[in-house]
Amino acid sequence: MKTVSSLLDPHWHDRYKRISKLNIRSSIYDVTDRCNLRCKGCFFFSSNEHQAASEEKDLSKWHAFVESEMARGVNLAILIGGEPTLCPDRIESFYRRLPTFCATNGIIKVDRNRFPDLMVGISLWGAADDEIVLRGKDTFAISSANYAGDPNAYYLYTITPKQLGKIENNIRRIKDVGLKVHMQLLSNDEGVDGFFWQPSELVAVRAEMDQMLDSYPHTVISSKYYHRIITTGAMCGRAFGWMECPSVTDALDTRQPRPKRLTNFIRWASDLKTMHRCCTSETRDCTTCKDGAAHMSWVMVNKRDHMNSSEDLQNWIEVYEMFAKLYRFIPW
Amino acid sequence: MNDNLEQTILRVAEIIINELKLEDVTPETFDADLDLVDEVGIDSMDLATIALVIRDEFGIRIDEDDYPKLTTLRIIGGYIVEKRSSGE
Repeated sequence: MKTVSSLLDPHWHDRYKRISKLNIRSSIYDVTDRCNLRCKGCFFFSSNEHQAASEEKDLSKWHAFVESEMARGVNLAILIGGEPTLCPDRIESFYRRLPTFCATNGIIKVDRNRFPDLMVGISLWGAADDEIVLRGKDTFAISSANYAGDPNAYYLYTITPKQLGKIENNIRRIKDVGLKVHMQLLSNDEGVDGFFWQPSELVAVRAEMDQMLDSYPHTVISSKYYHRIITTGAMCGRAFGWMECPSVTDALDTRQPRPKRLTNFIRWASDLKTMHRCCTSETRDCTTCKDGAAHMSWVMVNKRDHMNSSEDLQNWIEVYEMFAKLYRFIPW
Repeated sequence: MNDNLEQTILRVAEIIINELKLEDVTPETFDADLDLVDEVGIDSMDLATIALVIRDEFGIRIDEDDYPKLTTLRIIGGYIVEKRSSGE
């Protein structure tokens, strides 16, 4: 029988032991249905998820809800939107009790006196011209001024096909404001004109992402195995899709057989009652979905499938470490 | 008691080998003190699967809160023997 210690040298075994018992149990929460931007390609609005439920406005119900989520075993709250920073009281209901991550467009600065170590992921969709086309304004100019040098913030850089060959410029300007960056890809079926990945472009972007990791190892939080998985949609000889996705809401998961999945995962709408099908748009074609967290989790929940060789298990460790860093379970 | 424990360990080893499709190991060669998480790579979903089979076979319920401490075959075997003897 292949064991972890038979596959890893002491250095890698120590890295494995640092993460093997973290037992991260995340769920995702729509904090609000509102946003201060309307970005082309944002699944929340393009698939009408903002109309799925009417947001709960009674703050006491948010506090009670978070207590019930903790009782359900959740130990990582991932706050998305709309734009969560429009509702700091709701953010606080999570932050007081749980490790909490807040996705934001960075237009509104999180009050660091109130949320000193809240992990903030700032969305970025490219250079200024891309941002203006997709989001109506160059958000980087605002978000980088708000968060420059913040040790608890990083950029979530969504790469589109139009940014091929230009990724480094964006990485460098993030580095220059003293922040870190995690790269992800825009999914094809968001239906934005001219932003559709062709197979050859996915090969090219993988090479460019690898190069960024090599060139900016202290700025880019990523792994080459993750780049491979997200650009090919393949892992351990299997293709990503509905029957493989790990981040389907538990109560709505009727798949048979059930794949390896995130334990007790739910994505809640902002009425605190309605559940979305999965971590992204229900209208998305799962075979071409590029959701970064879903692909990371896909690797993470399939640990034993990565125990065939030292290289496979090291790849698994790197992806798990990346996730744990992005959500503050281990230091950068 | 010890015979009972050893038999239980062997049966749990068999369950884990079958459920997780482990290769190159038998119930007899499965080290009862091997750390199932750190060494075999078992995760909480695997443990949930194994817990269901144990529930059906031994008639005991394993609390999810107890998963983190069930780290070896010997500990799981002892847990089962104790639960059965206390009639839980």
